Amino acid sequence: MLVSNSGPDAASRAALRSLMERLPGMSAVEGGSIEPAMSSDPPLLRSAKIVEGSSLRVVKVPDFTRRTVSGFGAFLDGTQQVRLVAHHFGMPVVFGTVAAGVRIRVNRRLITWGHEPPRVERKIYLPLRYLPPLAEIRDANREVARGSWEIVDTSTADKDGEYPSQHPAVLQERATRAVDRERDRVEDALAEAWCARAEAPLFIDGGISRSERVASSSCAVGVIKSHRTLYFDGTEVGKVLGLKKGERTSVFRVSPRSRNAVLSWYLRLRDEAGHDPMWGLVRIEVAESDRPTERADEISRWVMAESTPLSLPDGRWDKMAYGVRDCEEFLRAIS
Amino acid sequence: MTEALGRVVATERRPNTPHEFHFWTAIDSPVGIGTIVRVDGAQPIEGQIPHIYGIVVEGFSYTDLQSPMHDVLGHDGSPTAAGFASTERAEIRLYTAAVLRQIPEEPLQPVPMGQVFLAEEADVQVALRMDSYLREGANTGIPIGVYRAGGTDAVIYLDADFLLGPEAAHLNITGVSGLATKTSAVEWLLGSLFKHFPDEKGSIAAVCFNVKGPDLCYLDQPGRIEKTDEALYEKMGVEPKPFESVEYFAPYTAKGLTLNTFRNNEALLDNVTPLTWGLREVLQYAEVLLNKDDIDAKADALIDFITENIVDREFSDPLLSKTHRVQSFADLDAWFRDVLQGMEKKDGESWRTHHVATIRKVRNRLSNISTRCAGLVTDSGNVSDLPFGSFADRTVYVVDVANLEEDAQDLIFARIVSKLREHLERRDLGVKHLVVFVDELNKYAPGDGPDTYVRKMLLDIAERGRYLGLVLFGAQQFRSQVHRRVVGNSGTGLFGRMDPDELSTPGYAVLSPATRTKLATLEKGQLMIRHPHFTQPIFVRFPRPSVMQGREGSERYPQSSEVSLEAAVLRALRPLDSTITLPWVQEITALYSPEEVIRARNATLLARPENVKGYFASQFRKIIPAQAAPRPMVGSIKSVPENDPYGF
Repeated sequence: MLVSNSGPDAASRAALRSLMERLPGMSAVEGGSIEPAMSSDPPLLRSAKIVEGSSLRVVKVPDFTRRTVSGFGAFLDGTQQVRLVAHHFGMPVVFGTVAAGVRIRVNRRLITWGHEPPRVERKIYLPLRYLPPLAEIRDANREVARGSWEIVDTSTADKDGEYPSQHPAVLQERATRAVDRERDRVEDALAEAWCARAEAPLFIDGGISRSERVASSSCAVGVIKSHRTLYFDGTEVGKVLGLKKGERTSVFRVSPRSRNAVLSWYLRLRDEAGHDPMWGLVRIEVAESDRPTERADEISRWVMAESTPLSLPDGRWDKMAYGVRDCEEFLRAIS
Repeated sequence: MTEALGRVVATERRPNTPHEFHFWTAIDSPVGIGTIVRVDGAQPIEGQIPHIYGIVVEGFSYTDLQSPMHDVLGHDGSPTAAGFASTERAEIRLYTAAVLRQIPEEPLQPVPMGQVFLAEEADVQVALRMDSYLREGANTGIPIGVYRAGGTDAVIYLDADFLLGPEAAHLNITGVSGLATKTSAVEWLLGSLFKHFPDEKGSIAAVCFNVKGPDLCYLDQPGRIEKTDEALYEKMGVEPKPFESVEYFAPYTAKGLTLNTFRNNEALLDNVTPLTWGLREVLQYAEVLLNKDDIDAKADALIDFITENIVDREFSDPLLSKTHRVQSFADLDAWFRDVLQGMEKKDGESWRTHHVATIRKVRNRLSNISTRCAGLVTDSGNVSDLPFGSFADRTVYVVDVANLEEDAQDLIFARIVSKLREHLERRDLGVKHLVVFVDELNKYAPGDGPDTYVRKMLLDIAERGRYLGLVLFGAQQFRSQVHRRVVGNSGTGLFGRMDPDELSTPGYAVLSPATRTKLATLEKGQLMIRHPHFTQPIFVRFPRPSVMQGREGSERYPQSSEVSLEAAVLRALRPLDSTITLPWVQEITALYSPEEVIRARNATLLARPENVKGYFASQFRKIIPAQAAPRPMVGSIKSVPENDPYGF
C-alpha cells in the first residue's frame, strides 16, 4: 500500500475552487498531507493456533535455489492519497484518492490485467455537521460530483449514536480511516474478481482475511510486510524474530474477530544481520489447506523467488516484491 | 487506420519544441533511428487537427533501477542468477524525433501531446514535402532509394529541379572506400536519372572521370542482381539493365601502342576512343601544367605570343632560317631551336622583347609537357576528343584517367570541363543538361593547399554551373577535407558508411549522436540523404547497380598487356575493318619507323574512313623498293692453248 503526498492535481484544484465559492471563509492549506492512520495503531502481541505440528518450529524452506520459478501469475496492490486541502474555521476539508490494480506477468514482464481495469476513486471528506447549512453544500455536492468527486461526511454518529468531537485532529483521523476503508474496498473488489476467474496464484500486498471469497480462495496469497501485530509471545516471539534467511515458522491459523480465518506463517527473505529484527521478515496468509506444510513450503519458495529484482529505491525493499512495487508505480502514474 | 505505436511525452526538464519532440513506445515496436513517424494532435488548431511528421534522431532506454549497484546486490553479484529472476524490470523506450513538417504549417507551435503512428507511404511523401513535386503536372521526382521501417516501404524521390538545377543543383557523396557506396550510388542514380528525368526538361548526358580502379569501366556490361535488388528496381520503376549508350575515352600509354585504360581488352574496344591532343589544345591550358614558379609575367607573355602568332600560322622572321608553320610539339621545338640559334648567331640577348633566358625556360617547360603527358599529347598534332557539339541524350561518356600521371589527369580534367562549359554556354553541346562525376574531390578541390586551376574550375562549376545545366556529382572519402564552397553548393548530399574520425569533425555536429553512430555502421546499399526539400536527413536503401562491377569486369575482361607495334595496330583497326590481318599490317608497316606507323594508325582512327586499308596505307610516304643492279657485260675469255706455258 502506497501513501502518496504529492500536491493537488488539476481536478482537485477545480473541486477545491468550487467548494471555496460555497463556503466563504474556507482557507486553503498548502502541502497538507496526512499520515496514514495505521501508523498510530498500537503494537500488539496476539496468540495463534499452530496447525503444523504441536509447537512453533523453525523450518528451513526446502528445495529453494536461484532457479526456483515463482508460481505467481499476478500482483495486486492499492494506493491512497490523503490530503488536508483546506479548513473552514478549523474544520478539516480532506481529499482522498484510492486506487487498486492487478498487474499480470506475461513473458516475465508486468502488464495491467485486462479483465478488470484498475480502479481510481476520489472523494472529499467533510464534517458536514460542523459546516454551514447542508442545502448549500448539497448544491456544491452535485456540482463537484460532475467532476467525479463524491462527498463523504466525517461527522456522522458512531454505532453508539455518538458524534465525534469538533476537534480537528479527531475529524482528520476519521477522514483518514474512511480513506483506508475505501482502499480496502477497492482492493477486495479486485481480489474477488481475480479469485472468481482463478487464472493463477495472485500475490496480494497485505492480508486476505477481510473478504470471505478471497480468504477461502486457493489462488490468493497475502504477503504482509508490517508487523504492528505480532503473533505469539514469550519464547515464540524470539523464534519468529530469530528466523534466518530462507527459514519459516510453522503454519498457524489467524482468526481475527471480524474477519475470516486463514493460515499464516512467517518467512525471512533476507539476512537480517546488521539490521533490525523485522528486516526481510514477512507474514504470509493463505486459505485453509489440508496439507499446510507442502503449501507453506511451495508458497515460501515462490515468495523468495520474488525477492529479485530488488524493489529499490523503495525504502521497504527488504520485504517488498518487485511486482508490488510495479503495481504501486503504475497506480501512482494513473491516480 | 493503423494502431498507435507510441505517445508523445514532455516534461519540464525535457519539453517539446516546434522542431523536436519526445515519445515512448512499446519495447517491441519497430521504431529505430531514422524511422519516420506521424503525431496526431488531440486539440484542433483553427479548426484543423494538427499532424506533425518527425524522424527519430535519438533513442533512450532505461529501467526503474536507481543504481547499477542495486542490480548487483539483487543478484548476489552473479550475472547468471539475474537471468532466473521471475520478473524483468519495467523498461522504457524513449525516442526523440526531429520535426520534418507540421500541418498546418502556421501557427508554428510546439509539438502537442498525442498518439504516434508509424508513417505510411503517403505520410512519408507529405513529411518530406515530396508531394509538391510528385503531384500531377510537376512530375520531377527522381527515385533515389526506398525508405523502410516497420511494414512501410516508401520510395524516396529527389526533385530534379533541385538536383540538376535551376533551383539548386549538384550532388556530393561521402563514404569510406571499399564498401561499394560512392561509385555504386552514382551508377544507380544515373540509371534512375536517365529513366525518370522528364522529357520536357530536355536531354541529359553524363561525363564520368574514372580516376581510380576499374569500377566505371563496364557500365555497358550487365551485372549480377539479387532478388531483393530486383524488388527495389521494380518498386522504383527502373529496369535492372546496364546503360544502353556508353562511350569510353582514354589516352594511349607512353609507348603509344595500347590505350591506357582498364578497358583495353579487345572484346570491349568497339566503344573506346583514343583521347589525344595536340599542341593547340594543350597550350590553352598550359596554366594547368605549369606552376606559378614556371609562369611569371615574362613567360606568360611569351606563351601568349606563341599561341597568338606562331601556332597554326605561317611565321617568318629575319632571325629565322626559314618560314615555320607550327602544328605540333615537334614543330614548336624546331621553331624554338631556330630562334635560339638565330639569337646565338647575332649574339643577341633578346628577340621581340623576349629575353633569351625566358625563351629557354619556356622551351624547356613546354617541351617537357609532351614527355609528362606522353600518350595524351601527340607530337603530330592529331586530335581525338570527346564529341563536343554532338553529345547524345542519355549517354554516359567515361574518361578513364585512372592510370595517368597527376599532371595528365589535371590537364584532361581542366580541358574537358572547360570545353563542356563553353559549349553549354553556347547551348551547342548536344544536350541540355550534363552531369559531371568526379571522384576523389578531396584531391582535386581540397579545402587547403595551393589554389590550383582545377580547384578554381570546380568552384566555378559548383557556384555557377547550375545556370548552364552543368551539374557536379562529386565524391570523396573525407567531406571535411573538400573545399567548403564545393560541398556547400551541393544541394543534395549522400552519405554512406562514414569513418568515425570524419564524423567527429565539426561538419557533422548538426547530426545527433545516434545518427552519427548509425552512419558509422551503415550496411552496403544504405545511404543517408540530405536534400533541399527534406528538413532532416533520411536513410534509404538503394539497389546494387545493374552494371558489371569493376572486380568482376577485370576478371572477365583482363587488361591487355603491352603488345608489339603490329599487334597494336591490328587491334586498333580491326574494329573498323574485320578483314585486316596481322600479316597485312606487318607487310604495310615493315619499312616504316614506329612513329610513322603510330601516326598512320591515329590518323585512320580519327578519320574512320570507309576504306580502312587504303586510308591506312596512304598515310605512309612512298618508298621505292631497292632493286639489284644489272650485271655488266663481260667479254669472253679466250681459251688458253694447252701447250702455252705462260698462259693462266
